[in-house]
Formats: sequence, C-alpha cells, structure tokens
Amino acid sequence: MAEVKQAEQKFRKTESGKRLTQLMTEEYTALHRRAGEGAFVVWIAIIVPAEIFSGFKNVVFAVPESHAALSAAKGVGMLQCEKAEAAGYSMDICSYARIDLGTALSGGKDSPTFGLPRPHLLVSNNNNCSLLAKWFDVYHREWGVPHFLIDVPFCYEGQKDRDRAYITAQYRDLIKTVEQLSGQTFDLDRVREALRTTREATRHYKRFIDCAAARPSGITAFDSFVQMAPLLTSRGRPGIDRHFAMLADETEERMRSGLFPVPGERYRLFWDSIAPWHQLRKMSARLAGLDANIVAASYTSCVGSHEGSYELLQSYDGGDPLEALARAQNFSVCPYGLNLRVNAMTRAARHYGIDGFVFASNRSCKVYSIMQMDCLRTVSRDLGIPVVMIDVDHADVRTYSEEGAFTRIEALLERIDAARQRAG
Amino acid sequence: MGELFENIRRIKKSGSRAVGCFPLYPPVELVHSLGLVPLVLWDIKEAAPSLGESDRHLQAFACSVARRLAEFILSEDGARLDGILMYNACDTLRNMPEILQSGLSEKGRSLPLLRMHLPMVPADRADANDYLAARVNDLVRGLEEAFGVEFSPERFRESARLYNEARALARRLELLTAEGRVSYREFSRVIRNGHFCAVEDHARELSSAVERAEASPAVPNARRIIVTGILPPPDGLIDAIEGAGMRVAGNDVASQSRSYGHEAALTGDPAAFYCGAYRARRACTTLLYTADRRIDELCARAAERDARGVLFVGEKFCEYEYLELPYMRKILDEKKIAHMEIEIAAGDRDGAASLRTRVEAFAELLDH
Ligand code: SF4
Ligand code: SF4
Repeated sequence: MAEVKQAEQKFRKTESGKRLTQLMTEEYTALHRRAGEGAFVVWIAIIVPAEIFSGFKNVVFAVPESHAALSAAKGVGMLQCEKAEAAGYSMDICSYARIDLGTALSGGKDSPTFGLPRPHLLVSNNNNCSLLAKWFDVYHREWGVPHFLIDVPFCYEGQKDRDRAYITAQYRDLIKTVEQLSGQTFDLDRVREALRTTREATRHYKRFIDCAAARPSGITAFDSFVQMAPLLTSRGRPGIDRHFAMLADETEERMRSGLFPVPGERYRLFWDSIAPWHQLRKMSARLAGLDANIVAASYTSCVGSHEGSYELLQSYDGGDPLEALARAQNFSVCPYGLNLRVNAMTRAARHYGIDGFVFASNRSCKVYSIMQMDCLRTVSRDLGIPVVMIDVDHADVRTYSEEGAFTRIEALLERIDAARQRAG
Repeated sequence: MGELFENIRRIKKSGSRAVGCFPLYPPVELVHSLGLVPLVLWDIKEAAPSLGESDRHLQAFACSVARRLAEFILSEDGARLDGILMYNACDTLRNMPEILQSGLSEKGRSLPLLRMHLPMVPADRADANDYLAARVNDLVRGLEEAFGVEFSPERFRESARLYNEARALARRLELLTAEGRVSYREFSRVIRNGHFCAVEDHARELSSAVERAEASPAVPNARRIIVTGILPPPDGLIDAIEGAGMRVAGNDVASQSRSYGHEAALTGDPAAFYCGAYRARRACTTLLYTADRRIDELCARAAERDARGVLFVGEKFCEYEYLELPYMRKILDEKKIAHMEIEIAAGDRDGAASLRTRVEAFAELLDH
C-alpha cells in the first residue's frame, strides 16, 4: 500500500505535470476568449491537420474528442453520457461522442472547460473513424453548421502517392471553404511555421515516450497519455515545442536522479487501446503495487507515425506543408490495418522489452477494437509473449469492472512468471 | 437455410464462379460483366445461424451483420466462394478484410480479396470523381488479374442494363406491396433472394412475382407504415406487423429500396457509370455524402404512400443508425408522423411475444 501511495505521489508531482495543467488552462481560456472576440471557430477530429488553421489570422479550433477525454479524466464523463442518453442517444455509441453531445446539449454545463465555443465549421475525417463524421453530422443538422468531411482511404499498407495527392487536394478545398466562410485570407508560410513547431514538439514527445525503453522505465504509458493532450489541442501553437523539450529533459533528469514511477519494476507491459481516462491514477497505482508498469501503448502514436511502426513523424523538410500534413493523415494508429498493427507491436516489443500485452477491448471504439482478437492471437503466436484481453470503455466508467480487469491482469503476470521459470 | 448455399452450389455446378461482395452497394454490374456471379453477402441470417466461427474473431459488440458475414465466409459453405470484394463502409467492417484473411489462413485457405475505396464526399469535391474513376479502373484490372478474365464495354453495358431492369421490377413490386396485392413478407423474400443469385434469375423471379401480384386484387388498408433501417424486419416481426393489420406501404431499408431505388445511366465505361451510379443512389446512412437527404426522402415517401407511421428497425451496435435517430425522431414528431423503434440483436428471437405486443400498440396508434 505504501508503494501505491508513493507511485501516486510521483504521478502528481512532476513540474511538467503542473506546466501541462497551466498550458491546457491557457489553451481553453484563449479559445473561449478569442471566440468571444469574433474569431472563426472550427471543431475538428483529432487527426484533422490543425496546422492548416494557423494559416489564417483569426481562426481557432477545438477538439471535441480531447475535451471528452479531459471530461472523463476529471470524472464527469458518466454525467455527460447520461445527458446524451436522456436525449435519445444510445448507450452503444462511442463514449467520446456521448460526452460531447451531453456537454453540447447542456450548453457546456459540468464541463471542466465550460464546454467549447459554438463552431462556424465542423471538419472531420473518415479514417480516424467514420463514427466521427456521423457525430459531427448531429451538430451540422441541429445547428445548421457546415460540415467538411475529409475522405481518407484506409491504411492497410504504406501510403500511396495517389492517396496523398487526393488528400492534399481536399486540404486545398478546405482552405477555400474556410476563406469563403470566414472572409479571411490564407497564408501558406504560417502553416509551414506551425508544422515546424508541431514536428519539433513531436520529436521531444518521442524522446519523452522513449524514456520507457530504459529499465526500469522512466515513465508509465499513463504519463504519456496525459502529456499527449497539447499535441491534439495546440498543434502548431508557438511554445508547445518548448513544453515538450522541457518534459523530455525533466524526465531524463529524473531518471538520472534515480526517480522511476515503478522502481521495483518486474513486469513491462504494453497497452493496446485508447487511454482508460477514468482509471489513470487508480490503474497505474494498482499496477505499481504489483511491480508492473504499462510502459508503452499503441495509442500514443495516434499523432501520426510511419506505417507499421510507432515511430512518430518528427521531421519536416520545409517543402509543401500540405503534402507533409497529408503524409501524416492516414496512418495514425487507430486507422491502421491488422498487419500494420502487428508489425508495429512486434517492433515495440523489442524496443521496449515487453513482457506482456494488454489488449483493452473497448466497446465504444469499434475501429480500434474489432481486429484485436486476431491481433492478440498473432502477437501471442509469433512473439511468444503472454497476452490478455480486458474490457475497458475509455470514457464511460459504467461498463468497467476493476476487479474483473485485475483478475485477468494478475493472471497475465503469473503467466509471465511461469514463462520466465521455464526459460530458467 | 438455404437459398445462399443452394445458389452457390448451382453457380459452381454450372461452371461459373461466385464472388462474395460486401457491404450493400458493391459494383455488381462490373463483376457480372466479367462472367462472374456477384453475391451480396447481406441479410444472411439463414446462411449463418450460429456464430461460433465469428466469435473467435469479433467481439460481441460487433453488429450481427458483421458477425454473420464473418461466420459465413469462414464456414465450409463459404469455402465455395471464389473471391471476395469489398468497399469501405463503417468502422466495424473496415477491418474485416484482414480478419477474414487471418481466419481463412488459420484454416489453410485463401481467397482473392479485392478492395475499392469509394469516396464519401460530394461529387463536387476536389478530385472525388477522378479518384473514384481511377479506383474503378484499378478494380477492373484487379478482377481481370485475379480471375483471368477480360473486360468488355459491350458486356458491361448489357450487365448494367440487366441490373436496371431488375431494379425497376423491384420498384414495381414495392408499389404492388403498398397496394396489398402481395405481402411484405413475400416481397422481402423475393428481394432477399436477389442478393444471392445471378441477376438473370432474379429478374425472372421478380417478373413472375409482379405478374402474380398484378393478378391479385388491391386491398385497401389505412394502417400504412414505412419501414426504415439497415436490414428489413426479421420474418417473425413482419408476421407481427402484418398480423396487427399494418401495411408496409414503402421501405427505406438498405438491403431493399436503397439497393434498388435508383436507375443508373447506361454506358460501356465503368468509371463513368459508377461516378454517376453512386451519386444517383437513394440516401443511405452508410453513404456519408447522401445521409443529409435521408429524412427528407423518408418523409417524402411517407407522404407519397399516405403512410401514418414509420417503423425503425435498428441494428444493435450500428452507431451509424444510432446517431441519426434522435434527429429523425424530432422531424417525424414535427410532421406528426407516428414512429416506433425496434432493435434487433444477433441472438434475438424473431417473433418474441413482447415485440408483438409493442407492434400491436403501434398499429392502434395509427388509428388516431
Ligand atoms: S474513440 Fe474510437 S469511435 Fe470514438 S471517436 Fe475515437 S476513434 Fe472514433
Ligand atoms: S449494420 Fe451498421 S455497424 Fe453493422 S455493418 Fe452495417 S453500417 Fe456497419
């Protein structure tokens, strides 16, 4: 129990954690302020290339998925879901969507950020998930707000030139749409600058998540889930690269000083799913009590990585920024096909020295979860690494059973021990 | 059980090859023109009554459409298929090609699997038509290579004509159903068969069904409803609907009117054909660029057929449908059209007594 407390305290204490809270508070405050002052407001799906909006002087963007994650992490996910359900939205719809609908339908009530300012334009894409297009359609119909869908061919293999060209052409259409609706002019050089900032931030974020390659790991995947937020809500914003540089520096410094989230780490686990937002502290603390650490996760590469790996896209050569953004559009982790995901997990298993895989089957997110049964079997067979499947909805705590999940996780740890004994 | 199995056996016996296609609106004309028989693997409950195979690959929160699809393709009878063709649809189906390949390889089997990306944006969007045209041309080449066949513009035009003819007959049969000359149960049976057989056979079956119906008297009925959803109501539910004295005066069901509701302009160029045909389709929740039209089309159909109610047949776990429902309810309420929702899940029994009670109550509501 003492170890659990210790882990929890460390989880709370970092300077980067405090800076993150400040950054996110500033981000949402600025969003509301600028919207109030007449900025053109766009709501986007998380992998819509937000840097494009930096090309306009007075366009701000909000990310409902990120806001839903924050709401779930702050404990109001269930409340917002219930509001959406009371308005007739099925409990079987993705919990992010329900949280967002619940928030929007109640005018931002109970939201940790007072909701999001009403949009002038909705921009979604159908490779993150198609559900998102339907979710944004609700606002499009209810509020009469235009909805621009970016059509992205699903990524079963490496991106093809023709697909990149198709996506880039749609970005140009999107720019025209924003110009027409907002009356503002677009400046490509500003996008170039924003993209440079994002890629630099991503490079430091990668340095941070790679602290998990050390033994014991310098971080838990839960840290990386939390710290990922600005890469979704603040892409292109001046200064986020500095935040991530300081985050990586601080984490490396903590490791040099002998500070590790699970000092007695005996089990290094990999997480396949979205973050369990309602369980971040509880789950990491309880795992630490078992000397187990979820050191890495597929989810943290949803900011864009190379096909078949969790190697994030970190560089930008100064060329056409729209094309560079299109390169990242269809291979964040959710839209990966099965073979690419198995390849990425195989590399991650080696890179992070993984002892066991936790596949979190998430009824809310079909696109992430449906394929996990085959993925799990393939990983177990090809890598010979123990695997387990648990049920966790990422943002709706009502369908989660902590005891059920931990019974399975503990069985996984026993299998890891048994395999070690067999190996001598 | 049977139509699907029987038809595949018959197709194979005649020396043809059967290509299983999904989801609902695959380019069947093209497959047919190459001398192959496209089977649309939808509404296949009878062909996949248990879900043992599928349960090894898909979690229970996948919709029944996906689970039965996996079950069938991985079953012994599915082994008789010569290939699979899919285009992009919802999140549940997106991973299906690789799941199926994985399942087949566990069984030491493999099948040619062709994919096509159908743009989900309006046609006036940059590159949407050019992109689709290029994908259709890729598919022509892919099919030629996979099956050792050769494309012919003349044959393509003829196949497209045949499908148009079958669709026109289906529309005629729907009108006859609205007049009470044929039951909705019989109508649904004939339409479902069409997914599982060669279009020539289906056109023949539709022709005789139309002939029979035209020879039957019209039966007036004031309890007229429109059915909407991805799948038609299961037979037991149709019995309950008709048993409660309701008339299905029209449908907005994906495997029914959304499949046969359009007429495509004939040409020997498949790229031009599909650029037109996919835009001409009835509104469907799965074709994202059409979904805005759905409620207007539904209300227009209700007005045209003098229907007083709409019955939603919901597919459990279909988020596409779930997200459209509240808005549709609101508009129907505004237009004072009665509505009821029934959700069907994989393990449900068709004609459960509780359903009957609800259906009867809905029928009475239509009298007020
Ligand atoms: S959690 Fe999954 S279903 Fe929900 S918005 Fe994200 S990708 Fe889509
Ligand atoms: S019923 Fe819905 S979830 Fe199922 S395959 Fe069709 S569109 Fe997808």
